[in-house]
Amino acid sequence: MLQLRDRFNPFFKGHLHIAPLAVLRIAFGTIMLVSVVRFILRGWVTAFYIKPKFHFTFYGFDWVRPPGATGIYLLFAILVLAAILVTIGLFYRVAIISFFLCFTYVELLDKTTYLNHYYFISVMAFLMIWVPANRNFSVDIWRKPDLLVNQIPAWTINIFKLQLLLVYFFAGVSKLNYDWLIAAMPLKIWLPASSHLPIIGGMLTQTWVAYAASWFGALFDLFIGFLLLDKRYRKPAYVLVIIFHLATGWFFKIGMFPYIMIFVTVIFFSENTHIRIINFLKRFLPQRKQTVFNRYQLSPFKARFIYGVLLLHFTVQLLLPFRYLLYPGKLYWTEEGYRFSWRVMLMEKGGTVFFHVKDLQTGKQSEIINSQYLTDFQETQMSTQPDMILQFAHFLAGEYQKKGIANPVVTAESYVTLNGSGSKLYIDSTVNLAKEQDGFGAKKWILPFQSNKK
Amino acid sequence: MRKFICLALIAATTFILIQSCKKSDAGNPNNTGSSFDRKGVLTNISTNIIIPGYTAYQAATVNLDAAVTTFTAASNSANLVALQTAFQAAYKQWQVVSVFEIGPAAQIQLRVNTNTFPADINQINSNIATSTYNPGLLSNLAAKGFPALDYLLFGVGADNTAILAQYTTGANATYSKTYLAALSAELKKNATTVLNGWTATYKTTFINADGTDVGSSIGQLTNQLVFDYETLKNYEIGIPAGIQSMGTTYPQKVQAYYSKMSVQLVLLHLQTIQNIYTGSSGPGFDDYLISAKAQYNGGSLNSAIIAQFASATSKLQGLTDPLSLNIQTNNAAVTSAYTELQKLTVLLKTDMTSSLGILITYGDNDGD
Repeated sequence: MLQLRDRFNPFFKGHLHIAPLAVLRIAFGTIMLVSVVRFILRGWVTAFYIKPKFHFTFYGFDWVRPPGATGIYLLFAILVLAAILVTIGLFYRVAIISFFLCFTYVELLDKTTYLNHYYFISVMAFLMIWVPANRNFSVDIWRKPDLLVNQIPAWTINIFKLQLLLVYFFAGVSKLNYDWLIAAMPLKIWLPASSHLPIIGGMLTQTWVAYAASWFGALFDLFIGFLLLDKRYRKPAYVLVIIFHLATGWFFKIGMFPYIMIFVTVIFFSENTHIRIINFLKRFLPQRKQTVFNRYQLSPFKARFIYGVLLLHFTVQLLLPFRYLLYPGKLYWTEEGYRFSWRVMLMEKGGTVFFHVKDLQTGKQSEIINSQYLTDFQETQMSTQPDMILQFAHFLAGEYQKKGIANPVVTAESYVTLNGSGSKLYIDSTVNLAKEQDGFGAKKWILPFQSNKK
Repeated sequence: MRKFICLALIAATTFILIQSCKKSDAGNPNNTGSSFDRKGVLTNISTNIIIPGYTAYQAATVNLDAAVTTFTAASNSANLVALQTAFQAAYKQWQVVSVFEIGPAAQIQLRVNTNTFPADINQINSNIATSTYNPGLLSNLAAKGFPALDYLLFGVGADNTAILAQYTTGANATYSKTYLAALSAELKKNATTVLNGWTATYKTTFINADGTDVGSSIGQLTNQLVFDYETLKNYEIGIPAGIQSMGTTYPQKVQAYYSKMSVQLVLLHLQTIQNIYTGSSGPGFDDYLISAKAQYNGGSLNSAIIAQFASATSKLQGLTDPLSLNIQTNNAAVTSAYTELQKLTVLLKTDMTSSLGILITYGDNDGD
């Protein structure tokens, strides 16, 4: 036990130079600024948060509602400002907390837009709240030179490495299944879709390329975190990171994610590299002499509090991706325990869902034209995700109650195809979804995935 | 560090074993990869379906506009019949191009400006009564295009004598004719704009955008095919038959209510969508599905889609014009046609789209 503690302590309480943390702050702030501005410029604020009449909230977060057009743009304005402040390190703590809260609030508005990389941003922003990333090479230091420190406890840097390691590793673990490795699905469907690309386009239609890409992708995700940790492999590993993310960014429409990962994985490099980066950046700024040598000190109470928070955070991070084991059925089909687990680009899933509302008193029923209530994006996302289907069914029950039907029966006739399986009935179309409650329990009204071969 | 890697390897191997057991039988392991020529499909569809379609449609609107001119100059029974015939020909031709709301047609929102039905009779009558018509107004969308002409040429009187009277001795005879002329001129102008757009530059743009993202030609075409197909299913059949309204039927909401050719039109419309799918006699979506060995229910997806087109078509052929009367007297036949159309929705929207690897929504995907 003692031995373990001795080995563990340097990773936690040893002292490191602050440069990696300052660089991370700048890298994260910059890429967030670009991401948020890009999101606004694409008109997505309006398309995702103003235009829809109905929003798919997360279970337990029904109270998170769009604050209206002015409100939502104000939130995005705060995000832009906070990203700038984080980058330059001005009012850092306030800025990063505001960024975390506003970003997470926006993400909680509608699960239609849920992406692992938005979740990743929330997690990173959360971790950055607890570290003194503004105590060197920042405007805060220029304002209050007393704040300057050079040495910080190792945990303030290592938590980010650990988080990244978990993200990659779990992404890799989730690829270790029949569909991905043996059937090369969904890459066998997705790669030929890029066959128009110059030079490599022709190769993408080859089956062996889909297999090679699947296996390489799985191995990359599993091991890249460990390779980045090791000084001997770090440089080639980082080259791989760049190639891998740029390639996926080229093939698939995954937005800012490749660039975010390329930026934040810089944290793995040694402090000397980071000092060089900072010295390079300093060339563009007015020169100031800084010869102090200070260690970052936390009061024992604060330190213990932060350790508690981090312990809780990483425990949750370790367990969350495994919660799917508590549910029956095939994970990709039911998607129970799918989100928040670093499962990315794993399935080609498509669906169509028709809702019927029945008035028991008259025996008459209506089919719903979904597009009268939902945007295309919402309808597409809903059609393959049972919790969203249930939410919309509840919404419809409410709408028809307003129309004077006391107990509307809402059923969903839905067809889903998974990794080229061909569409199958997805939800038990005899179940009155208006009476089913959402929750963490298994959803019994999801029909089991049927194999093709009978 | 080596211990770490060993540990990771062990964990990984365990997982392979556990998860590999959960064989999902996903899809088609024998897939040999699809070498598919999207550019060929785009070239075929634009050259052999879209441009000939618009050429014929534009010619039909020119005829229609000329027939209106003749009729307004000499409002007699023979010219009315000629105008009605020209209208019917143009409306049929519209069914062939309605789906292509991309490029030049999307720019001028051709579909809603041409065929928003049911027509808003009150709006049309008030336009005529006040002698004002502003084509730019949103409220006039249902007071223009084919549905408005349908009413003006077939619905303003019980028979042709009564209809003719509206344009000769009626209180607003003069402006009624002006209105007819404005509507047919607008159809002609729009059709000409779109046709010219395609022949001038858009054909090249269309063929060269041969990717599969949402802005690519295949992406846009698939989106429009699914969207227009759902419009057909819901607005031409479903809503009038009371599918979406607790069984209350709305026979007057059918397409071409007054000229009584709803069934003819819906069949032409469905045929166009099938032609795009099969590429008519050239390469189409079907070839992609065949080369990708896309599966459905143990058989080939392509066969399932072709079979479903056939059963939907045959059910629709079982209906007779006027469809509005069918809905009142034999709605069971109409709803059973709707059911077949519904099945085809799933195949096109879910199975076909998913097999093509096409992105049909904006916004980012999950990264890796």
